[in-house]
Amino acid sequence: MKFKAVIQLRGVCKQFDGKRRVTALEGVDLTIARGEMVSIVGPSGSGKSTLLNLIGGLDRPSAGEIEVDGAALAELDDDGLTRVRRDKIGFIFQFFHLLPTLSCLENVSLPLHLRGWPRKKIEQRARELLDLVKLGARLDHLPDELSGGERQRVAIARALSVFPPVLLADEPTGNLDTSSGIEILRLIRDLHERLGSTILIVTHDAAVAESCARTIHIRDGRIAKDVRR
Amino acid sequence: MILLRLISWPYARKHLLRILLTIAGIVLGVGVFVGMHTANQSVLAAFRSTIDRIAGQTQLQISAGEPGFDEDVLDRVQNVPEVRAAAPVIEATVSTDKGNVLILGVDMLGDRNLRSYDLEGADESIDDPLVFLAQPDSLIVTKTFAAARDLRINSRIPMRTMDGDRVFVVRGIMKPGGLASAFGGNIAIMDIYAAQKIFGRGRKFDRIDVALRDGVTLDEGIAELRAAVGPGFQIEPPSSRGPEFEATSRIYELGSNITSVFALFIGMFIIYNTFAIAVTQRRAEIGILRALGATRGQIRTLFLSESAMTGIAGTLAGIGFGVLMARVMTGYIGGLLEEVYGVAQSAAAIEVAPWIVGAAIAMGLITSLIAGLIPARAAAMVDPVKALQKGSYLSPGEGENRSRRKWAMACAVLSILALMLNRYTPVFYGGYLLAVMAAVLLAPSLSLQVSRWLRPVLKGIRPVEGGLAADSLIQGPRRTSGTVAALMLSLALVISLGGLARSSYRSISEWMRIALNPDLFVTTAESATARSFVFPASLAAGLRGIEGVAEVQLVRSVRVLVKNVPVMLVATDIESLARRARLPAIEGDGDQMYRRAAAGEGVIVSENYARLHGARYGETIEIPAPEGTLRLPVAGIVRDFSDQQGSILLSRDVFIRYWHDDAVNIFRIYLKPGASEAAVRQRILDAYGTRRRLFVLTNGDLRNYVMRITDQWFGLTYIQIAVAVLVAVLGIVNALTVSIIDRRRELGVLRAVGGMRRQIRHTVWMEAIGIGAIGLVLGLALGAAQLYYTIEIARRDLIGIDIGYAYPFTMALALVPVILSAAYLAALAPGESAVRGSLVEALEYE
Repeated sequence: MKFKAVIQLRGVCKQFDGKRRVTALEGVDLTIARGEMVSIVGPSGSGKSTLLNLIGGLDRPSAGEIEVDGAALAELDDDGLTRVRRDKIGFIFQFFHLLPTLSCLENVSLPLHLRGWPRKKIEQRARELLDLVKLGARLDHLPDELSGGERQRVAIARALSVFPPVLLADEPTGNLDTSSGIEILRLIRDLHERLGSTILIVTHDAAVAESCARTIHIRDGRIAKDVRR
Repeated sequence: MILLRLISWPYARKHLLRILLTIAGIVLGVGVFVGMHTANQSVLAAFRSTIDRIAGQTQLQISAGEPGFDEDVLDRVQNVPEVRAAAPVIEATVSTDKGNVLILGVDMLGDRNLRSYDLEGADESIDDPLVFLAQPDSLIVTKTFAAARDLRINSRIPMRTMDGDRVFVVRGIMKPGGLASAFGGNIAIMDIYAAQKIFGRGRKFDRIDVALRDGVTLDEGIAELRAAVGPGFQIEPPSSRGPEFEATSRIYELGSNITSVFALFIGMFIIYNTFAIAVTQRRAEIGILRALGATRGQIRTLFLSESAMTGIAGTLAGIGFGVLMARVMTGYIGGLLEEVYGVAQSAAAIEVAPWIVGAAIAMGLITSLIAGLIPARAAAMVDPVKALQKGSYLSPGEGENRSRRKWAMACAVLSILALMLNRYTPVFYGGYLLAVMAAVLLAPSLSLQVSRWLRPVLKGIRPVEGGLAADSLIQGPRRTSGTVAALMLSLALVISLGGLARSSYRSISEWMRIALNPDLFVTTAESATARSFVFPASLAAGLRGIEGVAEVQLVRSVRVLVKNVPVMLVATDIESLARRARLPAIEGDGDQMYRRAAAGEGVIVSENYARLHGARYGETIEIPAPEGTLRLPVAGIVRDFSDQQGSILLSRDVFIRYWHDDAVNIFRIYLKPGASEAAVRQRILDAYGTRRRLFVLTNGDLRNYVMRITDQWFGLTYIQIAVAVLVAVLGIVNALTVSIIDRRRELGVLRAVGGMRRQIRHTVWMEAIGIGAIGLVLGLALGAAQLYYTIEIARRDLIGIDIGYAYPFTMALALVPVILSAAYLAALAPGESAVRGSLVEALEYE
C-alpha cells in the first residue's frame, strides 16, 4: 500500500543527562501516514511521552531525524520549531493546560492571536471551534467554572484552532472520569473522521488504545510492537 | 527545626536568587540604619577622643562661646585657691593645601602642667619654654603632620595671617600618641600670644583649661570658679563639649531613620510578596505535609520560621553593608562638619555599638515576621485534598480586597482626624503612619483599577502580548500587589525627598535674594563660615574710603550656648540691615522689630531658632556673656537660613558691650550705582590683600558657596533617593522573577501553542512595564501626601523652617523613563528565563 508519511522518525534517540544518564528512547524508527489515528502505549517510563514531545517539537532528540509534514525538525532553530508547532501541530494535554485567567473563547483564540490573525476572524473561528466541541454556550466561562471533560473539550478546540495536519494527545482522558473519557474519545474520533487529521494518542487506557487503527507499543525506549487493526 | 532542614532548606537552595532578591530590602533598610548611626557615633567618638587628648589633665574648661573673653579672667581663675593649674588656650582651624589643621595656642610656661609634649629629638629651644616664647614664630607639629608635608626641625611654613604674611619655623615634632593623635595628627602648637596676633583675637583667650588641687571635687571647683568669673561663662568638664556636633548629627540620624524605616517597610512588602507566591507554589508540598500529619500550627510555624530566617540573613548582611556604608559616611559627615563648623574631624575607627546591632536585629526580625504573618496563615489554611489535586487551579483571593478597603478607609479617616489635631506630636506621627497604612491597604484595589486602565494602552501597543500582560496584571493581583506597594512606597519616598530638596532650594534662593544682597563680602577665609580669624573693626573705615563703596555693614557672627544649645549670634548694624536687607516678618511687626533691635531693646530670632528651641514672640531670651547674662525680648521672628540650629540677630553695640569684642567676621559691602564690582574688589585687594589675610567674595561667589553647602546637606538625600530607587528596582526584579516562576507552565503553554520567543519576551517586558506604570501612578500620587508630611517633619523636628510645599514635577517626570526603563531592564533576565527553559519541564511544572 502506498501512503504519504506525515511523521517520519529515523534512528531517534533521547538521553537525559542528570546525576545519571537516562536513555528514554533508543534508535526509534517510525513512519505515520497522513490521516492515521495511532495510539502509543507502554508502561510508565517507557518513553512514550518523550516520543510525543519530540514529534511535537517540544524537545529535541539526542540523535536521529524527525520530519513532520515535510519539515525536518533537526534543522530548525527555536523559531522554526515554534512555527511547526503553530502551523502543523495541535496539542491536547492530560492536564488541559488552559490559561486559568482566560475565558473559553480567549483560550481558543490564543493560538490565532499568536499568528496575528485579525480580531474578527479569530472570534469567528473560536466560536466555530467551541460549537464544534459543543461548548458554544460556555464562551465566556473561565476554566475553573467547567468540568474536567469540558475543560478538555476547550483544550481540543484550542488544538484545532488552525486545523493542523497533526494532533498530538498526551493521555487526553487520563484526568477524566470514565464517562467524560468516553465522551472525549468520541469527540476525537469524530474530529478525525470529519477533518482527516493525523492523530497520535499516548495512553494507558486500553479502550482508548484499541479504538485506534494502529497501536505502537513502547518498552524501554524502543518500539516493541506495532499493531495495525 | 527538622521541617526547616528537610523542607525549607532545599527550597531555599533551589531558589537562591529569589531569596537574595527577597532579603535585599532588609539588607538596605538595616544597612542604612547601621551605616548612618555607626558613622555618626564614630565621628562623635572621634570628636570626644580628640577633646580628651587635647584636654590632657584638664578637669574643667572655662569658656564664653566663640567670642572668647578678656585676658584678665585668667588672673581671677589663677587666684582661686582650689585651682592647681590654669592655662589659657586659643583654638583655631586653618586650611592648608593638605586639609585643615587645628592650631592650639598655649602658654608654654603654664601649659606643661596640663599637657605633656612628648617630643622626639628634643630641641633645646623647646626644653626651655622661655626660648620658645622668645621666638614667636615657633611651631610644634606632630610626626604625622610633618611626615605628610616632609617637614623637619627648622623647616619653614609660610602662613597668611591677620598680621600679614608670616613664616613659622618647626621647632619641635611630637611623637605619635596622646595629644599628637588628636584630629588624626593634624594639630600644631604655637605660643598663645602669637596666636592672638595671627588670628586677630586682640587680647582675648578662647578658654582657660583648669586642673584642681587634690581633694577638690568638680562641683566644688565649679562653684568657686563661678564665683570668681561670674555667670556669663560656661564651666564644664572637657567631656561636656560637642553639643553642636551632636545637634548636627541628630538631623542626619532622624533623616536616615526615616529612610531605613521606609526601606524596611518596602522590604516587608517584598518578603510578603515572595512568601505569598511561595505558599501558592508549594501548595502540593503543604498538602503532602498535611496529609502526613502536620498540624496547621506546624505549617504556620514553618513559614514564619522561614520568614524569620530570611530576616536574620538580611539583617546580618545589612549590618555588614552598614559597616561598609559607615566607612564612606564618616568621611562625608566629617567633611560636612568641617565645612559648617570649620573643624576637621574624621573617625579613625568604625565601631558598631551593641545597641545599634541589637536594634538592627530587632528591626530586621520584626519586619520579616510581620511580612510572613499573612502568607503563613494562608499556608496553614491550605486544604490538603484540594492541594493534592494535580492541575487544579488556585482560587484567586477575591473578597480580601473588600476587607482591605474597609481598613484603608478607617485608616484614612483617622489620619485626617489626626491632621486636624496635628499640633500634638504623637498624634501627628500617628496620623502619618495611618496615612501610609491607608495607601498600602488600598494599593491592591488601586493597582487593579490602574491595570484595567492600562489594558487598552498595552493592547494598543501590541495586541497579543499587551493583552496577555495586562490580563496577568489584572488576574494575578496577589502576584503584583506586593511589588506595586513596594514600588509605590519607594517612589513616594523619592518624591518626598526630591520635593523637600526643591522646596528647600526655592526657600534658600528667596532668602539669598533678600538677605545676601550686598555686592561684595570681605572675609577672613575663602569659606564664608570659617570664624578662626577675625578683622579689627577699624578696617571698616578704610573700606568705606575705597572708591565705589557706598555702604559697609560690619557683621560679627559667633556661636554661643543658649540653654546649653549652640546658637549663632549675629551682631550687626540693624538699622542698615533693615534698610538694605529686611527679611519679612513671620511674627511681629516688620518695622517695629528692626527698630527695637537696632535700639538694643530686643533681638530678632530666626524661625528655626523659635521652632527648635521653643522661643516665642515677646518672650525674654537669656544669653550668657562675659559681662553678665544678656536678657532681651524676642522683638520679631524672621525666616533666616544663616544657621541650622537657629540664629539670633542683635545690635552690634549690645554685643560689644556684653562681650567686649568689636571684631568683625565679614564686611558686607554695597557699591555705589554704576561702580564696577570687579574694580572695587581689586581696589580692596590692592589696599589690604598684601598686608593681611583677607578675601573678597562677590555676591555670586557667596551664593555659589551657600548652594554648595546646601548641595552637601542634600548629599545624603540623594543617597536616600538612590536607595529608594534601588529598592524599587529590586522589587520589580523580585516580582518578575517570582511571576515567571509562578507562570512557568502558563508561558510553556503559550510557547507550545505557537508563541514565539519574542512574543513571550514581549509579554514579560510589558508586564514589567505595566508594574512600573502602576507603581508610578500610585507612587507619584502618594508622594504628594508623603511630601506634605516630610515638610511638616522638617519644620517640626529637623530644620524648624516652613519651607513651603513644592511638588517636584520635574523629578516626577524624570522618574517616568527611569522607572519604566528600570522595569524593562529588570524584566530582561526573567524574560530570558521564560523562553530559555525546557518546554517539557515547563508544561509539567506544578
